[in-house]
Amino acid sequence: MIKEGRFGFMEAFSIMAIVLVTKIFYGSPMAIIKYLGTAAWYGTLISCVGALIFFTLLYLLMKRFPQQDLFQIFETVTGKLIGKSLILIFAVFLLYKAGINITEFTAVLKVYSMPFTPPSMIILPFLIVVAAMAYVGLEGIVRTAHIFFYLVFGSLILILLLAIPSYDFNYLQPVLGYGLAKTIETGIIRTAAYDEIVFLAIIIRSLQGLQVFRKVGYLTLILGGLTFSVCLICILAAFQYTVGGEHLSGMYQLSRVIYFTRFFQRIESIFLFVWVISSVITVAFIFYISLNAYSRVFNISNHRPLILPFTFLTFMFAFIPNNFAQIMEIHLRVLREFSSVIFIFIPVMVLLLALIRGKKEVKTSGKA
Amino acid sequence: MEKLKKIIAFMTICMLCLGLPGCYDAIEIDEEVYALSIGVDKGINNAIRVTFQYATYMEDGGGGMGGGDEESGEVGGTIVSTVEAASLLEAINVMNAAVNRQVSLMHAKMLIFSEEFAREGVGRYIEPLSRFREVRELMRIVVCNGKAQDFIKENKSLIGSNPSKALELMFEQSKNTGYFPDMIFGDFYVDLLTPYGQPVAAYAGVNDFKQLDEGEENEKPPLKPEVDIEPGDIPRTGGTKKEIFGLAVFDGDRMVGTLSQNETRFFLMGIGEFQRGFFTFVDENEPELIYVIEAQLARKPSINARMANGVPIIGLELDINIDIISIQSRRHYEQLNNIEGFEKNLATYFEQGLKKTIDKTQKEYNADIFHFGKKVAGNFNTIQELDDYNWIGHYQEAIVNVSVSVNARRSGFIYGATPIRSTESKKGVEEQK
Repeated sequence: MIKEGRFGFMEAFSIMAIVLVTKIFYGSPMAIIKYLGTAAWYGTLISCVGALIFFTLLYLLMKRFPQQDLFQIFETVTGKLIGKSLILIFAVFLLYKAGINITEFTAVLKVYSMPFTPPSMIILPFLIVVAAMAYVGLEGIVRTAHIFFYLVFGSLILILLLAIPSYDFNYLQPVLGYGLAKTIETGIIRTAAYDEIVFLAIIIRSLQGLQVFRKVGYLTLILGGLTFSVCLICILAAFQYTVGGEHLSGMYQLSRVIYFTRFFQRIESIFLFVWVISSVITVAFIFYISLNAYSRVFNISNHRPLILPFTFLTFMFAFIPNNFAQIMEIHLRVLREFSSVIFIFIPVMVLLLALIRGKKEVKTSGKA
Repeated sequence: MEKLKKIIAFMTICMLCLGLPGCYDAIEIDEEVYALSIGVDKGINNAIRVTFQYATYMEDGGGGMGGGDEESGEVGGTIVSTVEAASLLEAINVMNAAVNRQVSLMHAKMLIFSEEFAREGVGRYIEPLSRFREVRELMRIVVCNGKAQDFIKENKSLIGSNPSKALELMFEQSKNTGYFPDMIFGDFYVDLLTPYGQPVAAYAGVNDFKQLDEGEENEKPPLKPEVDIEPGDIPRTGGTKKEIFGLAVFDGDRMVGTLSQNETRFFLMGIGEFQRGFFTFVDENEPELIYVIEAQLARKPSINARMANGVPIIGLELDINIDIISIQSRRHYEQLNNIEGFEKNLATYFEQGLKKTIDKTQKEYNADIFHFGKKVAGNFNTIQELDDYNWIGHYQEAIVNVSVSVNARRSGFIYGATPIRSTESKKGVEEQK
């Protein structure tokens, strides 16, 4: 068993909040505005409600097995073979997710800031930092996230506030966007945008009990939903649904329109700083969980020797998409719309199976 | 072993530091030359003629402030170069062949189209710029009633040595006068695509200084407080020849007309962007004299829209605060017994001005530059319904009701002016009582 360390509520809250919110810096707002138009801001709230329902089910599952984490529950409920297979699916998908996240980061960075740097020269240093963080382990990653939590959210709020002169909230009309039915349908499908909350169930043994798990889960989902919604409102109010639906990074564009006299402009460098930090933390966390899952499958007690091969694999995954169209239209759709098949469907099926088969941990102390 | 670990860690840190200079994208500030203005005219042997004005990093461009070498294109601390090419961005590459530094648009402050070009449609030249990483959203959009090249040639800074600062301050004048809109590239691009309204751009021209009549002095010159003047026709001499006055109205990406400087003020009031400006009025009580006020919007205008039998009814309400700057007759319009009538007269003036301007945009151009559409959109549930209705096409059918309330807040340093005394002044003193 890998020694993962223990941390408190704020650390867990910080890492989950950063992991959930990092998507807002990339093409996520563009995609949702394209689908939902002026209704994007509450479409994401529908997704958030979907994620809250899923988290409630996840909590019920964890409550049945208070001494175990999600991977252990898989094995307990479905048996060793199927359980390990499910964990392996998680490991591979997470590695793929880490790779695609890096690709998206690189693609957007190349467009906005480093047009002449070869992608490998961006990906490689990024992965070195990710590998170093994975080497330190979960506690290190989470504590780093806690330090940068205030900076990331502070800068995000600062950008939204400074761009106030660009907002006209009349541009949120017509209120139903492309129709309520489409908004609800897309909102439900995009519940996957919040499905990273499942990671909390994987690291539950490092938390201080089931109550902390529940509190962190609900609060981060609410914070994530509100952050997404407010950012989308601001992007729509500044660029309308027409242009908001074509900006590669709506938040970056928002930081570019900030102008208070000749002396206070061009502050997008702040954004770049936040963007890089939150991306590194997110990818490091996903990368670590992938490592952890793989180690569980093959009963490897020390994850460190696996870091180098996993870094290499992530590097390979990062080069799967040939162009930006493939990133946006294939890989990000898989991650943000269909990843629920793995992150939501599997845990819910396991819960159902546990209920049907009456599997429950005998000793229920209420603490993880 | 422990020592080896430390050495490896130290070497790793050193290796990582190598990446800090960002080798591939590293550019020294003097390796680039920064275009300040970009002018687009119709080409003769190729699609377009692009004029770049870029800073020289020298105090006066080597040609002296305001002067310059005609052949090398030196103009007041900058160089003006024109090139013909198939596309705007290709023109930069062509230009690089002649400039010993990479031309960068990172600090471009103004994009100017010739009117001839703007009337044919600017969309195809705005599009590549909206994608291009170097172009800033804060670059201003201008249409010139002559050639853009000529305008840029006259874009000199006679005050101060920083051409970039001079350009930015030039557009700040929109706030002081309201004679032209300070339209930035980002907003112009959004307005090109919006279903809520139509875009505008600042309207500019070059003054040949021949508008100021040098004939004999008129014994009783006519008093014309509100004359509509085209850019380039302001009766003046001295200073730079460039001037921005009024705005260009677009229908989609094609320019369809203009608003004069006075209409522009009403337009800016209607959209809530009017900051301040002086207005001169003939004194009804003494028609040979005038009074001057400085107007400011008290708050953003209140706009509402509803549909009545398929006809959009729009209500526009404005609150304007004014300061009395001058009353030549020294009458006490600022005092309680006069102020109500005074404010009412001004409110009527602003109301009529706004109505006429809106009317012009409806009947002559059918271009909703006021973006009333954003309120009309509230009457539709979905984007499909709004698209099916096509507000932009229905703008001219809208009934727009304008209501203005004026509040004369202050009267400058003087309250209740004492009349000028002379042997003939007694009459005037009596009248004021």
